[in-house]
Amino acid sequence: MSKNGFISLLFHTLFVTFMLAPIIVVCLVAFTPEGYLSLPTNGFSLRWFKAIGRYPEFIRAFWVSIGLGALSSTIVLAFAVPAALGLARYQFRGRDALSALLLSPLMIPHVVLGIAFLRFFTQFGLSGTFAALLIAHIVVIFPFALRLTLSSATGMDRSIEQAAISLGARDWVVFRRVTLPLIMPGLISGWALAFIQSFDEVTMTVFLAAPGTETLPVRMFLYIQDNIDPLVTSVSASVIAITVLALIILDRMFGLEHVLTGHSDRTK
Amino acid sequence: MAFLELQNVTKTFGDHTAVNAINLTVQKGEFVSLLGPSGCGKTTTLQMIAGFVPLTKGIIRLDGRDLSNVKPAERGLGIVFQSYALFPHMTAAQNVAFGLEMRSIPRSDRDQRVRDALALVGLAGYEERFPRRMSGGQQQRVALARALVIRPQILLLDEPLSNLDAKLREEMQIELRQIQRNLGTTTILVTHDQHEAMALSDRIVVMNKGDIEQIGSPQDTYHSPASAFVATFLGKTNAFEGEVQVAQGGISRIIVGDHVYTASAHIKGPVIISVRPERISFAKAGLRGTVCTRIFRGNHWLFQIKTIAGVATVIRQNDGTSMPEEGHDVHLVWREEDTFVRANSKVG
Ligand SMILES: Nc1ncnc2c1ncn2[C@@H]1O[C@H](COP(=O)(O)OP(=O)(O)OP(=O)(O)O)[C@@H](O)[C@H]1O
Ligand SMILES: [Mg+2]
Repeated sequence: MSKNGFISLLFHTLFVTFMLAPIIVVCLVAFTPEGYLSLPTNGFSLRWFKAIGRYPEFIRAFWVSIGLGALSSTIVLAFAVPAALGLARYQFRGRDALSALLLSPLMIPHVVLGIAFLRFFTQFGLSGTFAALLIAHIVVIFPFALRLTLSSATGMDRSIEQAAISLGARDWVVFRRVTLPLIMPGLISGWALAFIQSFDEVTMTVFLAAPGTETLPVRMFLYIQDNIDPLVTSVSASVIAITVLALIILDRMFGLEHVLTGHSDRTK
Repeated sequence: MAFLELQNVTKTFGDHTAVNAINLTVQKGEFVSLLGPSGCGKTTTLQMIAGFVPLTKGIIRLDGRDLSNVKPAERGLGIVFQSYALFPHMTAAQNVAFGLEMRSIPRSDRDQRVRDALALVGLAGYEERFPRRMSGGQQQRVALARALVIRPQILLLDEPLSNLDAKLREEMQIELRQIQRNLGTTTILVTHDQHEAMALSDRIVVMNKGDIEQIGSPQDTYHSPASAFVATFLGKTNAFEGEVQVAQGGISRIIVGDHVYTASAHIKGPVIISVRPERISFAKAGLRGTVCTRIFRGNHWLFQIKTIAGVATVIRQNDGTSMPEEGHDVHLVWREEDTFVRANSKVG
């Protein structure tokens, strides 16, 4: 029988229901045959999934989101790895200040960042460009990648690298053959989390995107301002399906609990 | 000429001196242990030899060459860490082959040497195992093979056996000693276990708070400790309070409780006299005491004896003779050469 008491069981049930209910409702509504938002009581229909094809801007926005997420997460990782290794290994003056600075975008409301970036990019004539979006996303997702990379870099036994050095390996060889494989789980999870943050970001992006550089959430946000029909639910359901698929693949390849925490049994 | 030479080597962290101007020479083929309590600077010393910790002052020479500008990767030393520090994503064979790869040894030669090294530590057939699927003792052996396969100038061992259980540790000690004697590799072992140091080493370096207290063979450091610290650190010892009085003809009278004997002491006044428990025997006359406890330990007896100079611990071999029982009065004697006499600063 369950080790949890009745109250805790009730709490967890309510919590999970609360988290999942909106997602389930959205997925159900996506299959409605009606022209308005409703649960599919008169049979299922793929009408609204087919409708996505008539709105190429949704497809394009989806690809912008994917491209932006992949590119910004990759660039962020290229900075997060050296930053994490430096912070994890060396005691230096201003170390805490630097770490606070790198994590600070977490503490600024995205709406404030959105306005600030808009002003900034207009000044440089960059507003509405993909480059502007990329820079802004790099700033806001950096802390997420850093957190996970840092946790695997700190958990690593320094003497493993010293062993490699004593066996005659040069710095670059040590990094490539020993350090990198050991922090890899942290890197993968850092990348995945950064990607999700980028894909999900709407509050700030809505200020910066222009027609042509709209991301999927921004496109959906703008769409529901003018229309109330089940199209957004079918788009959402598709994104959810893709996410679930991606998680299954990640789990098969690396084990999900390692990816989500950035730890691995290999670093100990 | 000395193979490895540490001259005036000092390391300070902030205002804390971890290693204080130590001098040490190690001969080729020698097995030397750095022995001392936790925090006395053993690891720091080893890391300075390996090149991972820079020296604050002093100089280290290997085979006559100053090491200060030689990178750790170029020193050609084999290191075994307390945590084993195996590469977890490589098999045993890949771990051992790593150092050979770095030296660009051709493939066929490399495979042979890896097999030989694993066989040397008793792990033939474990080539394809990953470290996480091996026991602590087996991982320890892989680490040893990995360090030995590059034919290191010096083998550095930092508490390599401290994570093993007592029985396995004893087996590994014997094995380590055999391998070292066969290969003739100059070896420096860091340990805080005096039994391990005594069992393995040609010479023991006893360290305390960053200083070297004594360097000597296991027998020397045990029987003629240079300081009170060495005497207590290298096993149990009795410390009796007593007094030295000068009698005629340069001969001293030593008074311990109600026991008075003559000896050639180099100091006078209040003293502390240390005697190892196994060097005290029972006699008709001597320091009088009462047996409080008597414990049978199979091959020996362990006594706690209350005297007016303090409680004495005595160990007697179980040689079949009858031993005093609890509550009986006994007299304790010892030979002059088995004592270590030092001034007692607490009294007058
Ligand atoms: N990187 C460091 N920064 C500051 N102090 C240090 C550092 N490394 C070591 N110390 C200090 O130097 C002293 C000696 O440390 P060391 O690691 O050499 O001790 P040890 O003899 O190996 O002890 P143990 O048996 O516990 O391993 C300790 O007091 C330790 O706190
Ligand atoms: Mg140590």
